[in-house]
Amino acid sequence: MQYLRYGEDGIRVVFGDRIDPVINEKVRRYYLYLKSLGLKEIVDIIPSFASCLIRFSSETISFEKLVSYLTEKESRISAYDIPEPAVHEIPVIYGGAGGPDMEFVVSYTKLSEDEVIDLHTSTLYTVYTIGFIPGFPYLGSLDKRLYVPRLETPRVKVPKGSVGLAQLQTGIYTYESPGGWQIIGKTETRLFDHTAAPYCLMKMGDRVRFVRA
Amino acid sequence: MIEILHPGWLSLIVDEGRYGYADSGVPSSSALDALAYRMLNILLKNPSGTPAIEVMGHGFSLRIDTDVTCAITGARVETALNGEPLEPWTSFYAQKGSILKVKTILEGFRYYVGFSGRMDAEWVINSFSTNLECRFGGFKGRPFVKGDRVRITGPRMEKPDTIHEKNIPRMKPPHVLRFVEGPEMEYFSRESLRRLFEKKAFSWYNVFSKSNRTGIRLEGEPLAFKEGVEKSIISEGILPGTIQIPGDGLPIIMLHERTIGGYARLGVVIRADRDLLAHLKPGDKVTLEMVEPKEAEQLWDKKAQLYDTHTKTLQEVVQ
Repeated sequence: MQYLRYGEDGIRVVFGDRIDPVINEKVRRYYLYLKSLGLKEIVDIIPSFASCLIRFSSETISFEKLVSYLTEKESRISAYDIPEPAVHEIPVIYGGAGGPDMEFVVSYTKLSEDEVIDLHTSTLYTVYTIGFIPGFPYLGSLDKRLYVPRLETPRVKVPKGSVGLAQLQTGIYTYESPGGWQIIGKTETRLFDHTAAPYCLMKMGDRVRFVRA
Repeated sequence: MIEILHPGWLSLIVDEGRYGYADSGVPSSSALDALAYRMLNILLKNPSGTPAIEVMGHGFSLRIDTDVTCAITGARVETALNGEPLEPWTSFYAQKGSILKVKTILEGFRYYVGFSGRMDAEWVINSFSTNLECRFGGFKGRPFVKGDRVRITGPRMEKPDTIHEKNIPRMKPPHVLRFVEGPEMEYFSRESLRRLFEKKAFSWYNVFSKSNRTGIRLEGEPLAFKEGVEKSIISEGILPGTIQIPGDGLPIIMLHERTIGGYARLGVVIRADRDLLAHLKPGDKVTLEMVEPKEAEQLWDKKAQLYDTHTKTLQEVVQ
């Protein structure tokens, strides 16, 4: 585990450099522990696949001081009690108008549409991280046979509910937004509700299974 | 009550931002020019965090149906209250029935309009700021349109104040954006970086017309990735000011609407230059200049001191 600078008010706590359930679980444990400390100097924590990005208030603490404080606390992390993950089932309508990139995915992977769907629905995914828009779950790991690159130039608008692939990840667009993932289907499940806490259906570490709608 | 007569190109309610839920992907959606926003509320003697209107482009006008002190900060604009010209970054009395009109923008791109008192706005997840994509917060989660009416709770007539001319930030293009090294800088070819840092004509970028509140796209010489480097990264947390380089090699500077990104991060715009991002308009020339983190900190301290001086001076005036 490594503490790296990110701009003036960020710290990247890096646990690895690949998509790996063991690394991600370390990130999750660290994030939950850090959150439990409730430090007022920490503005936000963004845990992801292999790192935790901490945004801190540089008016109240320096990068060096915060890193040394966090280093001191490291020995307590392994004993911290973390909750069991929840399991979610997400129905998807694959292909057609809601899955404009299915054709590309089929041609890139040299699989049939049915094979793509079978592979996509056969894995119990882990929520590796949540973001770039509220509630968007980055799920992994995708079956290697479904590997596709991102779009070189992102789309300006991807509809809400779109289910996409990018490299060895799959995810769900919770709101209409720009995006660079290859879209293979659509779901009606609501993953984020700003009107009621805790707002977000899924938490980091939760499990997700896609089913044909 | 105020009534929007013309919304400009885009106007919406903002505040200091939405924090504490970035782990669920909730971005801050804060005012893009933090200094201008803060100074607005100081001029108006409002508590910090009072919602304000962020406007992009000229033409904005509104009718004020109450006696209240108002102010405009941010971009330098030519403004009139009932036809009478107003000074920049200066609060003023508006009588019931007054019409405030922003005719042209002289310098910069976004400006902040506020009132002594509090506009009624949706409070969502710790903030009044509008999240345009998700359609929540601010005024019904959307930009203003002609005819929208907003109530002002507790309107007050406060003695007018001003920010001294010499302390109003410059926003004239060409813009120099300083940044500190990002995590994926080594993804780019040495030649490409050398050209970026040589301040020659081709290292200039133009602000692309497709920029928005999420990110500023730059057009110009694309950055070349090193041979064999995977162009995208495993998605990871990002902070405002992050300069992302997608596969096409053209920089996108992320603003306050994203928590995670999947493109290589060349750098992070330093805090001292972050407010300037609010004033990059399509067609403006921009150059990128790398600095060391220590220098970035010093530049921020200098700017923060300026904030503090303003704040103290104005508060003394209040007492």
